Amino acid sequence: MKYIFVRLQQLGHPFAEFILHLGGITSMLFEIIISLGYPFRKFFLIMKELYFCGVRSIVIITVSGWFVGMVLGLQGYNTLQRFGSVSILGSVVALSLLRELGPVLTAILFAARAGSGITAEIGLMKATEQLDAMNVMAVNPIKRIVAPKFIAGIVSVPLLSALFNVSGIMGGYFVGVILLKLDSGTFWSQMQDSVSLHNDVINGIIKSFIFGVAVTLISVYQGFIAKPTAEGVAIATTNTVVSGALTVLALDFILTALMF
Amino acid sequence: MQTYPVNVKNITFAYDEDCLILKNLSIQIPKGKIVAIMGGSGSGKTTLLRQISGQYTPQSGIVEVFGQDIVALNEKKILELRKRIGVLFQFGALFTDMSVYDNVAFSLKEHTNLPESIIQKIVAMKLNAVGLFGTQEMMPQELSGGMARRVALARAMALDPELMLYDEPFTGLDPISLNVAAMLIKKLNTALGQTSILITHDIETSMKIVDYIYFMADGQIIAKGTPTEIHTTTNPAVRQFIQGKVDGPFHYEYPTKLDYNQYLGVKS
Repeated sequence: MKYIFVRLQQLGHPFAEFILHLGGITSMLFEIIISLGYPFRKFFLIMKELYFCGVRSIVIITVSGWFVGMVLGLQGYNTLQRFGSVSILGSVVALSLLRELGPVLTAILFAARAGSGITAEIGLMKATEQLDAMNVMAVNPIKRIVAPKFIAGIVSVPLLSALFNVSGIMGGYFVGVILLKLDSGTFWSQMQDSVSLHNDVINGIIKSFIFGVAVTLISVYQGFIAKPTAEGVAIATTNTVVSGALTVLALDFILTALMF
Repeated sequence: MQTYPVNVKNITFAYDEDCLILKNLSIQIPKGKIVAIMGGSGSGKTTLLRQISGQYTPQSGIVEVFGQDIVALNEKKILELRKRIGVLFQFGALFTDMSVYDNVAFSLKEHTNLPESIIQKIVAMKLNAVGLFGTQEMMPQELSGGMARRVALARAMALDPELMLYDEPFTGLDPISLNVAAMLIKKLNTALGQTSILITHDIETSMKIVDYIYFMADGQIIAKGTPTEIHTTTNPAVRQFIQGKVDGPFHYEYPTKLDYNQYLGVKS
């Protein structure tokens, strides 16, 4: 009897933990929102973070986008050829990227490239008492450290996602038109016909904005709750990438169900 | 009349319920004095300091800083109060992504509207006071441990605090840096009319500069007095600490319930 009870407790523990984190992250979000005025008064802080999260991620985003676009072009061509409809390759590539792959992959890459860095930085600042030092110098670290990173994250992700889409479409064009000799005019005109600004482009931007909020929030939260040891920071960094990616995928399902 | 910038009355504190760190502890720090809090590792010294800076709140008791009970203050009032307190962390805790200049200028830029030209002069003066004028452009990684500690001291001094809290300022310093640090603490305390609280287990050095000593063990004050009084006390625990004896009321062995001989399977 006691054994069953202990097992039940073990089952319930992760769930209770999850609820606890959900509460922690929500209260952190509110704290960030009320501190948003501060980084705008110290704009150089936002610039620095934008450079770190956004500018330094351009290469990985562009290259990944290019390869994803090329793969879409190849696979799309192979499949469409069977039905004799290779002419719609342009719209297939564009719609897959704009609606799903662009926002989702950008957010996941962002979690791995910038999110992990944010978590490690905050975690190490905690381990070396820098957050405590800031606190006793009467400066709230949420205002000074977290808020600028948050703003930089939610600005960068949609922009990077747009870059990913452009680069991906170019990759698809490269494979479809230049390598497989599709007609360039058909490729573009089919795309122009089927992509709607409101349904596809704007919804994609909304998605990536929401992903940006989620990934950045997870990154700063993990940094803040990291145990102040080498192992603790390592675990927190891994958690950022894992839970960031899972959250993005789950949110994507919900958003797709709502939008399309 | 004697005033007490820090007045701690009967505080009790525990990180988790079954392990009390501070037990019904009271101390009074008179204005303008340098007071040392001594004791072995794990006796609760740093925890006590963090009560005074408002980082932790006690489960019961009162922590009065400049006449205000820190427990009853809201976040905003605590931040106001902290502008009048300087804290030197054990390893300096400099912001590693900022230069020495930006570190020292940090609280000036955050809490005052002074123009950059004035801030530059104040930073230069603070660095000069700790003997590090000219290091403004350096990054914390380029500094030695002793230098980093002195930059952190300059940073803690930036707003001319009335109360300074030092968390083990002498740990890990070579004999010269150690005397420099002690001299600086004494000099700044007198020059700025500060009150200082010093956490340390360096007896020799602190005896030279402090006015009063509280001796802590196991979350309680077990002895207090001027350095001479502490030096001549008959309290066995304090005597053991001062003389650094292995045998005495303090045990270095972990109080385990396991029997060593039985554990190894040997007959004693």
